[in-house]
Amino acid sequence: MAVLLALVAIAFFVLPLIALLRRAPWSSLWDTLNEPVARDAIRLSVECSLWATFFSLVFGVPLAYVLARARFPGRSLVRALVVLPMVFPPVVGGVALLYAFQRNNGLLGGLIYDLFGFQFTFSKWGAVLAETFVAMPFLVITVEAGLRSMDRRYEDAAASLGATRWTVFRRITMPLIAPALFAGAALAWARALGEFGATITFAGNIQGRTQTTPLAVYIFLESNPDVAVVLSLALFAISIIVLVSLRDHWFGGIRDAGR
Amino acid sequence: MRRAIRFWLVALVLASLGLVGATGTAQAAKAKKVSGSITVSAGASLTEAFTQMGTDFQKANPGTTVTFNFGSSATLVQQIQGGAPVDVFASADGANMQKVVSGGQVTVEPTVFAANELTIVVKKGNPKSVKSMADLAKLDVVSLCADTVPCGKYAQQALTQAGVTLDPAKVTKGADVKATLSAVSAGDADAAIVYTTDAKSAGSSVQAVRIPAWLNVYAIYPIAPLAASSNQALAKAWVKYTVSPAGQKTLQSYGFLPPPLQ
Repeated sequence: MAVLLALVAIAFFVLPLIALLRRAPWSSLWDTLNEPVARDAIRLSVECSLWATFFSLVFGVPLAYVLARARFPGRSLVRALVVLPMVFPPVVGGVALLYAFQRNNGLLGGLIYDLFGFQFTFSKWGAVLAETFVAMPFLVITVEAGLRSMDRRYEDAAASLGATRWTVFRRITMPLIAPALFAGAALAWARALGEFGATITFAGNIQGRTQTTPLAVYIFLESNPDVAVVLSLALFAISIIVLVSLRDHWFGGIRDAGR
Repeated sequence: MRRAIRFWLVALVLASLGLVGATGTAQAAKAKKVSGSITVSAGASLTEAFTQMGTDFQKANPGTTVTFNFGSSATLVQQIQGGAPVDVFASADGANMQKVVSGGQVTVEPTVFAANELTIVVKKGNPKSVKSMADLAKLDVVSLCADTVPCGKYAQQALTQAGVTLDPAKVTKGADVKATLSAVSAGDADAAIVYTTDAKSAGSSVQAVRIPAWLNVYAIYPIAPLAASSNQALAKAWVKYTVSPAGQKTLQSYGFLPPPLQ
């Protein structure tokens, strides 16, 4: 019985992928990928997701460090807030960002526009902001877990030998949490790449500027299914790469236990 | 294990036989009056009008349930051709209705029950002083419907007619007309081209800038019951309701134009 259910579960995951591969226009794959709309979508996706990962690292690692090491009142509340974007629907995140950053009536958006003449909505940086919002929690959680599980005696030893806090962090902590850091960055990158709801709500759908690959797939499903399928396969391929590169982080523990 | 399977198989067969018997008698009893439920797939611009009409229809015909599925007509066609269990299709243009007619999902002649026109919507107070389609070219962000959505096609038609070209880097495309509208009403887009009915429904959150009749596009709405509908009587009753005086009154109160002579 268990085997039957497991087979159904496997089929559940495998069938849609097979259907996608079957529908793909293999003969015109390269030409379809070269269409301006597809090239714009992929270029934007890669650019925005990398920027989102960058900002996630710049702001997420310090946050993870503070959450893991510092004790302050409200720490669990802060952690809950950070995890929130992971849990609620992305389009809700997009709506929330809209009311915070839109130029008209936004909490901060109007101020930013008056001071810098810049608006996040309908711009590439809006897409980056939306993707960072949904992706950073993954990085923070993973890095925080890594910081908590590492052996702090090395840090203590280095400190007792006269290393400054920054040196300890740079030469002891970072290398020790490197696997968690890579895994967190990869997860954040994959999440940013696949972001749809927040992007389309907050950054809009402008080809070449905010129409990332998931948006293009959604819009072109009716009018140009070849492009939609090819772009879906491109994202699928990237997801597989992320999964394969993370297998040691996710499955390494299980493999060790099995030995 | 095997006995359990045999027990459940027998139970299943008996249950389905029972169900068939029950529905048979039920159908015979309600042969004259319309009853049951239908799902109506309709273009997003029909949201408010159809919702109101649904309430009225269900009140006038107790025992019926009308469920709506609103979206861009192009998406709805995809769903229908993918086998979605829809009973009636109301499209925002003839091209999408033609797809389901050619595909064999609709086998009767569609009825045109309403018409619509386009308008420009801007933020309340018209801060960017938009007076015509030509002014759209100087804005930061214009919201249009995506190219395959009927209102997107109509908007392109109107823009081409008016000789206006918009920079694609300044155009955000909505998946349906309501999303296109919300980019202005709830977002930062400076203007959008939507139907006059949508401008009316949006009320005070937006302001309409009229597109003159000689440059406007006349959009017709065909409706038809689907051949695969399991409740043909109710589906046809709904179609009849949209062209009835009561249905027409509601549609026009939401800003739709009367249909052209058939």
